Amino acid sequence: MNDILEMFSFVLRLIAPLVAIIVIVLCFVSLRYGRRDKHALIALEDEERKIRYPVLFWENSIGRSRNSDIRINDLTVSRDHAVLLRRDDGWFITDTGSKAGVYVNGELTEGRQAVYIGDKVTIGTSVLTLRRADAPQDLEQRQRRKSREAKTLPGSVLLSFITVYTIIIAVEALINMGNLDVVVPTVGFLAVSWGYFAMSESVFKRRNFELESLALLLSGTGIVITAAHDTRQAIVQLVAMVLGIAIFCFMLWFIEIPDRVMKWRLATSIVTILLLASSLAIGTVQNGAKNWIVLGPVSIQPSEFAKIAYIFVGASTLDQLQTKKNLFGFIIVTSACVGLLFLMSDFGTAIIFFITFLIIAFMRSGDIKTIILAVTAAVLGVVVILTIKPYIAERFAAWGHVWEYADSTGYQQVNTLIYSASGGLFGVGLSKGYLQYVFASENDLVFGLISEEMGLTIAVMFGVVIGGFMIYARTVTTRSRSTFYSIAACTAGGMLVFQAALNIFGVVDILPLTGVTLPFISYGGSSMAACWGILAFIKAADERTYSRKRMKSRKEKRPVNAAVSVSQQNDDGEDYIEV
Amino acid sequence: MKKTQTRSIMVLLMTLAFFAGLIYHTANLWVHSAEWTSVPENGHLSDSNGLDRAGTIFDRNGIILAQSIDGQRVYHENEAIRKACLHVVGDNSTNISTAIQTVYRSDLTGYNFIFGLGLPNSIKTGNDIRLTIDSEVQKAAYQALGSYRGAVMVYNYKTGEIICMASTPTYDPENVPEDLEENEKYEGAYINRAISAAYAPGSTFKLVTSAAALKNIANVEKRTYQCSGHEKIGGKEINCFEPNGFLDFREALTQSCNVYFAKLALEMGKAKMTEQANSMGFNSSVTFDGIQSAKSIYDVSKANDNDLAWSGVGQYTVLETPLNMAMISGAIANGGVPVQPYLVTELEKSFEENKTHRGTKLASRMMSSEIAQKLYDMMDYTVESYYGKSAFSDSLDVCAKTGTAEVDDNGDSHAWVTGFCKDEDCPLAFSVIVEHGNSGYGTAVPVASAVLKTAANQLRTNS
Repeated sequence: MNDILEMFSFVLRLIAPLVAIIVIVLCFVSLRYGRRDKHALIALEDEERKIRYPVLFWENSIGRSRNSDIRINDLTVSRDHAVLLRRDDGWFITDTGSKAGVYVNGELTEGRQAVYIGDKVTIGTSVLTLRRADAPQDLEQRQRRKSREAKTLPGSVLLSFITVYTIIIAVEALINMGNLDVVVPTVGFLAVSWGYFAMSESVFKRRNFELESLALLLSGTGIVITAAHDTRQAIVQLVAMVLGIAIFCFMLWFIEIPDRVMKWRLATSIVTILLLASSLAIGTVQNGAKNWIVLGPVSIQPSEFAKIAYIFVGASTLDQLQTKKNLFGFIIVTSACVGLLFLMSDFGTAIIFFITFLIIAFMRSGDIKTIILAVTAAVLGVVVILTIKPYIAERFAAWGHVWEYADSTGYQQVNTLIYSASGGLFGVGLSKGYLQYVFASENDLVFGLISEEMGLTIAVMFGVVIGGFMIYARTVTTRSRSTFYSIAACTAGGMLVFQAALNIFGVVDILPLTGVTLPFISYGGSSMAACWGILAFIKAADERTYSRKRMKSRKEKRPVNAAVSVSQQNDDGEDYIEV
Repeated sequence: MKKTQTRSIMVLLMTLAFFAGLIYHTANLWVHSAEWTSVPENGHLSDSNGLDRAGTIFDRNGIILAQSIDGQRVYHENEAIRKACLHVVGDNSTNISTAIQTVYRSDLTGYNFIFGLGLPNSIKTGNDIRLTIDSEVQKAAYQALGSYRGAVMVYNYKTGEIICMASTPTYDPENVPEDLEENEKYEGAYINRAISAAYAPGSTFKLVTSAAALKNIANVEKRTYQCSGHEKIGGKEINCFEPNGFLDFREALTQSCNVYFAKLALEMGKAKMTEQANSMGFNSSVTFDGIQSAKSIYDVSKANDNDLAWSGVGQYTVLETPLNMAMISGAIANGGVPVQPYLVTELEKSFEENKTHRGTKLASRMMSSEIAQKLYDMMDYTVESYYGKSAFSDSLDVCAKTGTAEVDDNGDSHAWVTGFCKDEDCPLAFSVIVEHGNSGYGTAVPVASAVLKTAANQLRTNS
């Protein structure tokens, strides 16, 4: 009897990665086909010179610069002259500090000015008339879109596969443990997942569910693997996921209107710094870092939430980017954050903030010199700190030769390596591992725990999913509704990838061990909730996220702004309700 | 927005680096997994964990030294053989860190990269391991050592096969004594003295000094000396066991004159002595079949002249492993280049190709072939003129050098002998150490003799 059960659990271990692969492939295929075709929304026509400029994006830079979205080769045009942008209530043009100014129908504009089909926009010596885009090229194009659409999968299919996967691993854990401890967290997880899905469909009327599916796949695994070792912790993890989804929904609502977000940035930067300062002021020390605030039975890690706010502060819409080019304010916020984190001895998070800064700084300025300067400053800073406080270096002394420190600072890494190797590609079975007895196995070492108990296949696959978030964020940069979303999505993706790299490569001794969590999977409520918040930035960059609501509001406003109705006509491919 | 996309290449590169890291980690696991899973700390394999369904260990003649029957680890039925093979085979624990059941535990339990240690018991099959040792020779060594502590190392200097690697004190893996950790009788029983212990080599080290002198001092063979039993070198006396009289180089080695070799060491100096010692395996460890030996030590960096002189006759702080000692003899017998010893002939992997089948590999050269030939002749002459060939065996032509290494000021000494057989059908190099044996000739030679006789007998009947 025992042999049969053992065999059954082994077979489940073989099937689980297969189902997980199906989920992942379906999600990424669906994401890929969910992207909008690259066709013009409207056009600008220079009747005098007989040049027609197609307007491809939601935010377009106009200028003489070679990298401008609409490049006007005319010496009277400034390099970054103006930005033509689309919002829910129509098209606008903003002069971004040009020398010659921008005229709409002969009048000099100031700030953001609405423009309509037929309006004449004067930029330098060029007079551009706003035109409808060429009529959609017909049947062929439509059909291509239709076939693409067939390939985007409804969320219910994805979630069904996730349900199957979760049940497989939960049953496996149940057999191995010989008790019912995993049942409650698993059922709770599935209920929350389907509940959120139903809400996403009916309340938010969203059609895309791929990103959430991937996050649920990771979170669900984290909850089940935690449940296999400690039921109470799994419930905490589940509650954190609910909180995370709530933050995710709030974030999607809050950042829906980029211009509103821009107004809130100063307040957010203050909140970011306050969050970090609060844990320095009233926080308690755990595992050597003073980054916990204990409120009765709940202890939270404010630095995790500060990450969300920080991305927020860094990203920007195109017109703002082009008007205010310096990064001065952002550098001040960054220095404050990194400095506070260093004071808290939370070096892992400090590095994450710094890398995030580099990503944002480069995405905003494109200036490699700034990056080199920042890195140099950081290296100098680290050298200074290590000279003043040499004991910090000792914490990382084991890096690169953990086997020599197997009894001291290399203990966690050595055990991770031993047990990752013991697990093979399919694992020894949930709860049957030995890494669980090593300190921090469910958060810092969770990659090793998954490798040992579920196998290297699933562990590496999850790494690929997190990298996939990033790759996806990048593919939608020009298709999102504002550079705010593009920058935020790439930064969010980069942050998740970097954090995963620090976690995974830290425990397997490729990088120094810094004790950061593995996004979505590690045990830790604040981390879980914050990761969902960070995911909202990537979700927001997906144009489909807001498409249904946009349709509705546009219908109401159609008479007000003619240009929109034109664009809608061109848009019908991606406005799912109408097709 | 085009710009934004162009710039996002930075995060793309970061992600690609992340993927590369994942690939690197996987490759790393692939390469090191067997080694990592085999560490004694691995909970999946500790105690009888895993061994209950492990593969069989055979000796060179197919005799089963350990196997698993009905979830039990069972060793050879003869207690003497069990004890004799303990340090090679290991016991259920992982306390003997160089034993096959420790180093190859994950392989024995059926470890493979694909399934790790995760196969269900009902379909788990362990891998079998074939060894080069001969259990009868092991037994002979164990019995010859008797109540002494010590070690015997015998290997084939042409192929590298380790025929015998025995160590005492030992215990029965089938009935591990309960007072193993407390009883003084078993002190150091977890150590395989043949490879994991290093002793003062005494006169056997004169082979190293000789090799250095033959290389560095012109016409050293013609150098003569009138030994009166002692001489002041570097401010202090160097003593011989007895006055050796008038000696040339060959006689000095044969009669083992300390003063003669002490003077040579001093004349050559630290650098040349260290260079020769290093090339003959000192100050580095030998790794074979994933088993790492202890280091033999020759360090004269802080020595004064008298210390340096003493180091030339294997005293001062010089330490040598029986393994390295046997390899030096093996090198002399094999034209100056020792063959790398090995223990595992075959590892049958259930899911991988049988990639661990080993052949003969040469280790790095220890001396030129001319010097090897000269030492060869001198060791031959030593046995013939000094001990008599029959001291070892009537059926073997043995060349050897003994050593009696002082370990304290009361004259207590370890007994050494090392050498090789000239016989074509028994190309064996050996070393024997008997702790507190007091006389190389009196204690170590009989052990070597008994072991070599059995080895020759076994090799001749089984070939």
